[in-house]
Amino acid sequence: MVERGEPEKIKDIDSEYLSGKRQAYQEDIAEIEDVDLDAATPGQDINWLEDVELLEEEGTPAVFDRYSNSFIRIYFDIPEGRENEIARKVLVKHLQSGNSYGIQLKEKHTKFPQPELGPWVEGSKTVGTDYHPPVLEGWEPPAH
Amino acid sequence: MATVGEQRITYDARGLAEPHAEAPRTAKVEDGKATFDAHDLSTRQINLELRRLLYEEGITDVTVQNPGAKHSLGVGILTRCKITFDGSLGYFGCGLIDGPEIQINGRVGWSACENMMSGVVVVEGNAGSLTGAALRGGDLVVKGQVGARSGIDQKGGTILVMGDAGSMTGFMMQRGRQILCGNVGPGLGDSMYDGTIYVGGKVKSLGIDCVPGEWTEADTEFVNRKFSIYGLGDPPEFQKFVCGKVLYNYDNLEPAERKLVL
Repeated sequence: MVERGEPEKIKDIDSEYLSGKRQAYQEDIAEIEDVDLDAATPGQDINWLEDVELLEEEGTPAVFDRYSNSFIRIYFDIPEGRENEIARKVLVKHLQSGNSYGIQLKEKHTKFPQPELGPWVEGSKTVGTDYHPPVLEGWEPPAH
Repeated sequence: MATVGEQRITYDARGLAEPHAEAPRTAKVEDGKATFDAHDLSTRQINLELRRLLYEEGITDVTVQNPGAKHSLGVGILTRCKITFDGSLGYFGCGLIDGPEIQINGRVGWSACENMMSGVVVVEGNAGSLTGAALRGGDLVVKGQVGARSGIDQKGGTILVMGDAGSMTGFMMQRGRQILCGNVGPGLGDSMYDGTIYVGGKVKSLGIDCVPGEWTEADTEFVNRKFSIYGLGDPPEFQKFVCGKVLYNYDNLEPAERKLVL
């Protein structure tokens, strides 16, 4: 994991850096074995997950989270022949748990109503119903 | 010209100038399914009513009657649900969606399902140009024909077209798959980076760096699965096209550039 520093000079951003911690499902395959990919996606097959494959980030197996533009590294041994399935399950677990940094930003920054946990969790609460633009203290709009 | 005190009703297909941004609350809900008539509603009112039903009321099955080919309907829906449009949509219909399964009983204008993240959209009629532009994921099924530059900048997902496709289909395609059952115009897959295009008919001409690919068992499984899911019968014999990778090489991309196409 890249250490924070001033000035920050990192070229790769991963989920651990954004959320500040490593999740259990990145280290233990048992944490993701019960993820139902078909149930987690629209339609009658795995839908958008068809495009998700196991990749590599700085030599570590990883799956890309497009909702936060970051890699989720996988530290457990991945059984041969199940590479993409495991990558998809880790990603879905990450999204359903609300650990994706993009989801964490929704409560504060979403301008329009939408489910906090996106389409992956049924009955997720709606955020973005009371958005107010941030105000810079002491700033006044210039007189024209 | 309208006289003083008289409100003149005009149709603005772009849905601009909606002084009262409130959902009209005209839907009828029965057995957990909602239906509303969009004939007299503006684009914004229709989308507000859709979002009210889906996000506030928790309805997961909505039918929109008489959409009237208005533009930008059903955009930005970010939840799992079923939406049926009983009629045609204008341009940019069902763009930026993530999760819905949408049935369109009509035609669609240009850029349908632009930037779709996930979900299923089935169009019973034809679609205009730029269908599935920048599609990122999900299935887009068009039972009619599609216009030029369909799947331009496609970054994932599947576009399945039962009819013909126009020129420059798959232009700058980066990932994903296209299944085109009919004939295709000139410039197929021009400047594509990656992805797979299956063509059942004749190809007028291939674009730069688009080359025939080797058919595998995975291709057969994929095509058969999609045809089976959408009840499209037996698939025709397809020819497969991929990127020749002469113009571009992903392996040489900087990390930040690499993320843009994932």
